[in-house]
Formats: sequence, structure tokens, C-alpha cells
Amino acid sequence: MRLFEHEGREIFAKYGIKVSAAVLVRSVEEALKAVETLGYPVVVKAQVLTGGRGKAGGVRIAANQAELIEHTGRILGLVIQGEKTESVLLNEKIEIAQELYAGATFDPQNGLPVLMFSTSGGMDIEEVARTTPEKVLRMHLPPTQPVRGFRIVDFLRGSGLQADLLPKVAQVLQKLIEVFHGSDATTAEINPLVITRQGEVVAIDSKMVIDDSSLARQQIVPRFEAGTPLEARARNGGLNYVQLEGNIAVLGSGAGLAMATMDLISHYGATSACFLDTGGGISSEKMAEALRICLATPGVKGVLVNAFGGINNCEWMGRGIANVIDEDKPTVKILVKMRGHSQDEGWKLLEDRNIPVVKFGTTEEAVVQIVGLVGKGA
Amino acid sequence: MAILINRKTKVLLQGITGKMGGLHTKYMLDYGVDLVAGISPGKGGSKVGGVPVYNTVPEALEHTAIDATLVLVPPYAAKECAIEAIESGIKLVVVISEFVPIHDTAYVKQLAIERGVRIVGPNTIGVISPGKTKVGIMPGSIYSPGPVGVVARSGTLTHDIGATLTEMGIGQTTCIGIGGDPIRGMDFIDVLKEFAADDETKVVVMVGEIGGTGEELAAKYLETGYPKPVIAFIAGQTAPAGKRMGHAGAIISGGTGSSASKYTALAKAGAIVTKTFSEMIAAVREALATEEARGRQLLGKGRAAGI
Repeated sequence: MRLFEHEGREIFAKYGIKVSAAVLVRSVEEALKAVETLGYPVVVKAQVLTGGRGKAGGVRIAANQAELIEHTGRILGLVIQGEKTESVLLNEKIEIAQELYAGATFDPQNGLPVLMFSTSGGMDIEEVARTTPEKVLRMHLPPTQPVRGFRIVDFLRGSGLQADLLPKVAQVLQKLIEVFHGSDATTAEINPLVITRQGEVVAIDSKMVIDDSSLARQQIVPRFEAGTPLEARARNGGLNYVQLEGNIAVLGSGAGLAMATMDLISHYGATSACFLDTGGGISSEKMAEALRICLATPGVKGVLVNAFGGINNCEWMGRGIANVIDEDKPTVKILVKMRGHSQDEGWKLLEDRNIPVVKFGTTEEAVVQIVGLVGKGA
Repeated sequence: MAILINRKTKVLLQGITGKMGGLHTKYMLDYGVDLVAGISPGKGGSKVGGVPVYNTVPEALEHTAIDATLVLVPPYAAKECAIEAIESGIKLVVVISEFVPIHDTAYVKQLAIERGVRIVGPNTIGVISPGKTKVGIMPGSIYSPGPVGVVARSGTLTHDIGATLTEMGIGQTTCIGIGGDPIRGMDFIDVLKEFAADDETKVVVMVGEIGGTGEELAAKYLETGYPKPVIAFIAGQTAPAGKRMGHAGAIISGGTGSSASKYTALAKAGAIVTKTFSEMIAAVREALATEEARGRQLLGKGRAAGI
């Protein structure tokens, strides 16, 4: 889950990284009050989760009250890449001597945490890495070993940073690594990390992404991306659901299987109304809710249930489907391909209700069958 | 032969007294797995389905040898269980648990590398060598013994491809789900190396999906020359960009991780790329026929040379 800049800054401060003074406001009135402590000039920054806010006019400097009113008023409500700005962060204007970049993330190639640093701060770091890769230093950090301070100083030697700054910057990087591990981040970036005219090292922005699987132990309340009402309902039910625009709903007992089923539907000339992955460990209730969401999907003419009784079993899944048939009496065509643990019991529940079941056939055969039942029309 | 596990593999179940633990104890015993012990701290001395329960892995090791362990515990407990197994010297650790924090996986993966232990998962169905044994939660009945090795990120696709191959009369040496998370223990390359060294595996089916770079890295490895035909399938050809498709690892972002880029890399590396299951089955049949003909030819030459 992405954090807002101001949330990331709070975490930085908690771990002892110096951040510039800032106040979060949600109205022009709040801004006028906040500026009394911050003073002019003040930087007005849109708090959004998407990137590219600078280019979209979401960052402005106000030199006086008139400008503060104008900028704050304009930025609040500004839509940046589809996201409406609900709050702005007022930031003290720092006298900058040098802009740096510091980040920690996972290297997808080997699963190791990697520390990144560049003296080309304040710019789009992905662009810097693409055009001048030599300007972004990287160091892998095996999580089983402590990170020694001298290693970081040694790592920074090649960056072109002035010698007297090495220990100060290294200290911030050490703290950033603590932030990364301690807050279960998948990304923790400071861009820019600045050297002030007074020689202090200060973070003036934050970009943090927390691992979704760790939110509970970090005591972070999940904040979901906006979606359709059905997408929200699915999330509440612990289901992975993506609403699409076709007419065959795909209900799979796993993500890969559901995606492959969608691919085959497309291959046979039809389109999917939705992708629904129940995940593992599904109960009767969860299966019933999954089916109900598929049946409620706009445009749906048929539902293909493609499931395996692995960690869950077919009897539980079959009972969930049977309950929906008994209680809701749906008219949309339903085809079930289901195999695995307790399959005979599961099949019987469906056959007793005249639901067609693909027992030993392949996914491809099931797809051909549902496309035949529903037709190819979008 | 098969890879990683065989008929003699002694298996441990960590989390045996949970609801899933009890269920899968039964399923594993039904399949003929040599399930020698289970772990549940505080419940040592009891039994589940006739299998003795111990408090710790070291305690279990006082009573039996253990070759592999199945970790079937809640996500936040998986790290400690895996560390316990690794530090106790178990050489294969299969982590079934879904939603394991990525920092926990990264730690366990690194520790396993340092200790020479193989991790499968997390977020996996595990490993099965059909007709021999399984260290996993898959329904054994849909798999059958034979010459094809299967490696997939998705658990349910492993099932579906195993079942489809079985329906078509094509058996498998070993089927392995490497897991749906962005960081995982064994990756495609590690499994491909195992299959390369396994005499019984004649053809490998590799099943990827959108997101991440595992398939592209595997393609680079295949480019260096692989001794067996590899038939590839990538799920998510029709997935919309920017949407997370169930698995934490399955998202197309910023143009990377699309099925097209994976197919291109794999085709360039000499893999046979297939877009549907029927194409895949046809390719497997053809590759098996070619390998068989080559085998006969080699055998004939050997006989002619008096070997």
C-alpha cells in the first residue's frame, strides 16, 4: 500500500531522519493558520498517491499570503492522474546546497534488499537510472547480516560526494534501512534528500510503499484504491475481483487459473465480464459470495467456475454454489469445472440441481462449452 | 527419479494440529506419503491421524529422520517455522502459507541459501512426484506418473496442467508450484536445473504469468543451452495493465511484466511457446515423440558400437 508523503515523513522522523518542517492542511483557512509558524516563502504540495504531481501543477511556492490563498485553493481539488487532491502539505522552504537521492527496495532478480544512492537527486530517478545508470549506486544488503556503518561509508565513496559529507549521509542511509525493515516497506525513498546551506542532511519528500501482507502487524488500516462497488464488495469478502466489460464471468480458485481461463475465453472469440480469484482456503460462504458477485456483474450472461479442491475441498465449494442456486434461483447460465479433494460429494450437490459439471475435461473444453452456451456477443 | 522428492522422502508437517493440518494429514496419508511426524508447540505427545506430534523440530529429529517439511501455518508464523526447519538441518522446506510478509520471505530465502537448504514457496501448492509422494496440498488423483516435468508460478494452474496432461495420457515426473509471490524460494531457473539433471524428465512444461522478471531470467538461462525441450505457457495474456490479478506478483506495471515480453524472451531462448492448452499438449506430444526417437537412435548406436 502506498503512503502519502506526509505519512512517510512521519515514519522517517520516528526513525530519527531529519525532515523539513511541514503541516498538513485541508483548507485555505487551515493553511493561513499553519503559515503563522512556518513563515514565507512556503512550499505548497498536493498530497496524492500517484506520481507526476510536479508536472501537473501540484507543487507551488507561495511568497506571500495572496499566493498562499491562490495556490492552496487551486491545488485542493486538483485532479492528478485521476486522483483528486484532498489535502496539501505546507513545507518550510529550505535553502538547498545539493540534492541527493536515497532509496531502499527489493531486487526482484534475487530477492535481496538493495540500497540505492545518487547525487542526481530531485529528478525522476527511474529516468536517471535508464539514461545514466552509472549515476545510481546500488548495494545489496543480505537481511541475515547486520549492516555495518563503515560499509555504507565505503559504498558512498564512489558517489562523488564530498568527503566531509560521507558520515552524515551514511547515517541517514543507515536509518533509511531501519525504516525499510522496521516498517515492512517494499519501497522507502527520499527524493530529494538535501544538503542545506548550513550543511545539514534533510529529507524533504518521501515515497513509501508498505507490503500489503504486513499491514496488520504494522497496525496500518488498509486503504484501497477506488474501484467499482462490486470490487469493494469483493475486497470486503476477501476475494480478488477485477470488473471487466465482457459477458462471461470467470470464477477461479486461483489467480493463474482464472487468468488462463480469461485468455482462453478471448482465444475462442468471447470476452470476460470479470476476473474473480477466490484465493486458497475457501469456505462454502466465501464461494457463495464469489458466485453472487459474478452474477451481479453488469453484462454477465454466463459464469464459468473453474476450481480445484486443493487446500479447500470440492464439497465445501459445491455447497456454496448449491446454496446460491437454492436461495437466489439465478437465470444466468452457470458451468462448473471442479476437481480435487472430495470431488464426488461436490459434483453430486451440483448435479442434484441440474448445474452442468465438467468433471474430467480440460479448461479449454469448459471454455468452449460456456462460449457455446452464452454466445460470443460482447 | 523425479526431482526434489521421491518414494523414500520422509516428510514432516509443521502446523499439524490446525484445521488444514488435520485435513492434509489425511490427504497425504491417503496418497501414501511417508508422513513421519508433525509439529505443534504445546501439543507434543498427541497424535493426528496416527502421526506423532512433537513440540519442536529438534524433538521430532530425536525420533526420526526428516527429509522435507510442509509448513502449513498462519502467515505471520511462517518465518519462525521455516527458520526452525532450516536451523534443524531439514534440506527441503515447502511453505504453503499465503500472505507471508515479503521481508520474512527475503530473510528465509537468504538464510536457506547460506545453509544450502531449498525453499519452495511461499504461497504455493508444493511439490508432487506423482505415484511416489507429495509435499504439498494438491489433490494427488489429478496427477499421474510419466516423463514430463511441470513448473509453474500458479498453484491452480499446476493442478490444471497436471490434470490436462493426465487426461491426455501424459504423465509427470514432478510438478512444482514455485509460488505466486514476487519473492520466492526456488525460482524457475533452480527448478529447470533440477529437471535438466533428472534422467526421467524428457520434456519440461514451464508455466509463467504476468508480472515480475522470473520468466525473463529463466529465458536468459535457457539461452545458454538447455538439454531438454521446454514448452512455455504464460497466463494473463488478456489481463488489463495496472490491475493486480490476484497474486501479489501478478501485475503489469510501466510496460514491464507483460505476457508479450515473456513470450518474446522465451521464444528467443529456444523454448516452444504456446498460447492455449491444446497447443501446449500438441507441443508436449511432439517433443516427447522426438525425444523418444532420439533415445532409440542413441540406443541403436550404442548397440552397434557394442556398448
